[in-house]
Amino acid sequence: MKPLTINFRSKAAQTIGDEQVQNSLEHVYTGFYRGRLNAAADTHNWEELRTKGKAIKDHTIAHLDHYLEMFSEKVEENGGNVFFADNADEARQYITELATDRDIETVIKSKSMVSEEMALAENMNESGFETIETDLGEYIIQLAGETPYHLIAPAVHKSRKDVAELLDKDFADGDRVPDATELTMLARKQLRDVFARADMSVTGVNFAVAESGSIVLVTNEGNGRMSTSVPRVHVAVMGMEKIIPSIQDLSTMLRILIRSATGQRISTYVTMVNGPKTPDEEEGPEEFHVVIMNNGRHKLLKDPFLRESLNCIRCGACLNACPVYRKVGGHAYGWVYPGPIGAIVTPVITGLKDANNLPAASSLCGACHEACPVKINIPRMLLELRHKTAEGSSDPNERTSKFAERAIWKAWRTGMMGRGRFDWGARLAYLLMRPFSINGWIKKAPPPISGWTLSRDFPLIAGESLKSRLNRRRKKDI
Amino acid sequence: MTAKVRFINQVTKALGRTKIIRPKENYATAIFEDRNLASSKAAQALEDAKAMTTTLIDQMVESADEAGWKVHRTDNFEESAELIVSICETHRAKFVLRSAHSVLTDIPLDSALSASGTVLEITEHSSKGSNQQIEKSKSAAFNADVGITGVDYAIAETGTVVLHPRAGVSRLLSLAPPTHIAVLRPGDVLASLDELFAIQRGDFLNGKLQGSMNLISGPSKTADIEGTTVTGIHGPLEVHLIIVENDQY
Repeated sequence: MKPLTINFRSKAAQTIGDEQVQNSLEHVYTGFYRGRLNAAADTHNWEELRTKGKAIKDHTIAHLDHYLEMFSEKVEENGGNVFFADNADEARQYITELATDRDIETVIKSKSMVSEEMALAENMNESGFETIETDLGEYIIQLAGETPYHLIAPAVHKSRKDVAELLDKDFADGDRVPDATELTMLARKQLRDVFARADMSVTGVNFAVAESGSIVLVTNEGNGRMSTSVPRVHVAVMGMEKIIPSIQDLSTMLRILIRSATGQRISTYVTMVNGPKTPDEEEGPEEFHVVIMNNGRHKLLKDPFLRESLNCIRCGACLNACPVYRKVGGHAYGWVYPGPIGAIVTPVITGLKDANNLPAASSLCGACHEACPVKINIPRMLLELRHKTAEGSSDPNERTSKFAERAIWKAWRTGMMGRGRFDWGARLAYLLMRPFSINGWIKKAPPPISGWTLSRDFPLIAGESLKSRLNRRRKKDI
Repeated sequence: MTAKVRFINQVTKALGRTKIIRPKENYATAIFEDRNLASSKAAQALEDAKAMTTTLIDQMVESADEAGWKVHRTDNFEESAELIVSICETHRAKFVLRSAHSVLTDIPLDSALSASGTVLEITEHSSKGSNQQIEKSKSAAFNADVGITGVDYAIAETGTVVLHPRAGVSRLLSLAPPTHIAVLRPGDVLASLDELFAIQRGDFLNGKLQGSMNLISGPSKTADIEGTTVTGIHGPLEVHLIIVENDQY
């Protein structure tokens, strides 16, 4: 997926002005945010679970090479195939070649953010494979030709009327808007036909268990189960950080993931796949492939300040808690991962140069840190990225600060380092600012700094320094 | 250098090392617990399920109800059979598919169903995975009005039914038909996910881990349209949990 992070401001402004989308975004708060708080309150050892979840992820990420090796060996031992993809292109190519080689006609896709990184459905369709998203939200998004709005609720911004028009133009005719049940049943019917004829599936991975080579899928709809039951080939795609060491660790990780995502105690379905179908089973995929993707994640791993972001289990709790996300919506973030976690992952993976608005779009209120089930200190990392933005980088492709900005700060530094220079600078600033001020305040600054005074006033610098005023008074007293 | 080696090397390098080092023991993950400990934990979990059956059943009833199961407690085999027949009749089921779970042969289900005029098919492994057989099994599941299964384990904490697909227990049986009926024996209720995964880990370390596992907690649902919860998007619209509280169990 091509990053559009550079459009953050315009996309955000557009969303804030869209009343319907603002109403839809309310659900993120009333549904998910409150749901998580209730679920946490109902769980007697919630804090203990979070601490343990963080410790499991910290440990795994610190030994990611070891556990990746263990996991891939186990998958192969169980009769599956593993493909290591350095980037999205390699991953997509592997899956497309596999589909060609196995004479695949119809591919069903379960929700997977990693597959969004590869724009997989779009590309597979272009390559001639009928590829259908089966998560209801993703299906709606695919029909609309958009990208997901939220990690858990991809179509949270769509109204019933929008959905009706997307599912069936005739269905939306007249004034009556069908209710959610009618629309869901219509989608069920449409997707049933697809399931029945699918010969390949692509799913995500919620957890990959290193010791047993298992993958675990969490869904409410059951499309994950369809994907692991009907087609003859199953491809599971995962970011390399999805590993946990032991089967037993699943009880902790599932509890915190599901409660944080939807507020449920458990999702309707949790599916654990330990390889292709066993010989005595009647149906199930005969081939099981796992695609493990890096796609820039090693940059997060390498940076001691940002490594913690790989602990993310993609529950979406930080999005729901974030006062900025709840106003600017998911599309403003311009790539696969929106919200606070997206503001860290996206700039590092797609380049800070175009995405420097993302870490800035936060009040650093800390709600995301408080909400995170694995206690990722998101505000600290946002500050780190802001620091990188301000300092610039030695890599000219990554350099974010402009020449003028660096020149101004350099001049500032020089000016601040000597009394004479400081007095001279202050005097100059006073003279420059005075024409724009009214009663000692600048209400409307000229470009290029006009943005600063849009929401606040700037005080006029005093025409005379404190020191010189005191000197004058002392002379008078004598 | 293979793609795998190159990939893992890059990870090692990003971690600031030159080669993979073995992790030191860590309290949080169970991977450092050896086979003996894992086996005894698994055995304990199974023992507890038998020892605390009454308490666990009561918890299960409550949480299954919350999860969206229609829960029924029956006193004997006959009553269970009658109940299943009446659920099938309510849905005007013409074609019913059941798994080969032994609990379903304990209750006089087949005779009761055929007496009611329903066509019953049992998913049993007939031929060794020929394509024709697979297609037949799939289409049976998609055409059935009701799917009936046993329960391998239940989880009281979450109201969950655990099923391991295998010969005679098709993956689609509990998913494709619009109504799913699960029949539970009281001694198979575990307290929580901890016990379930303790058993799975014990099985794994003893080389007995099954091919796959499904945890089912209520009917299929979605809230993807305006946040309104609707049941039955891809899986069953209605799910029944029948607990057979027979003295023989």
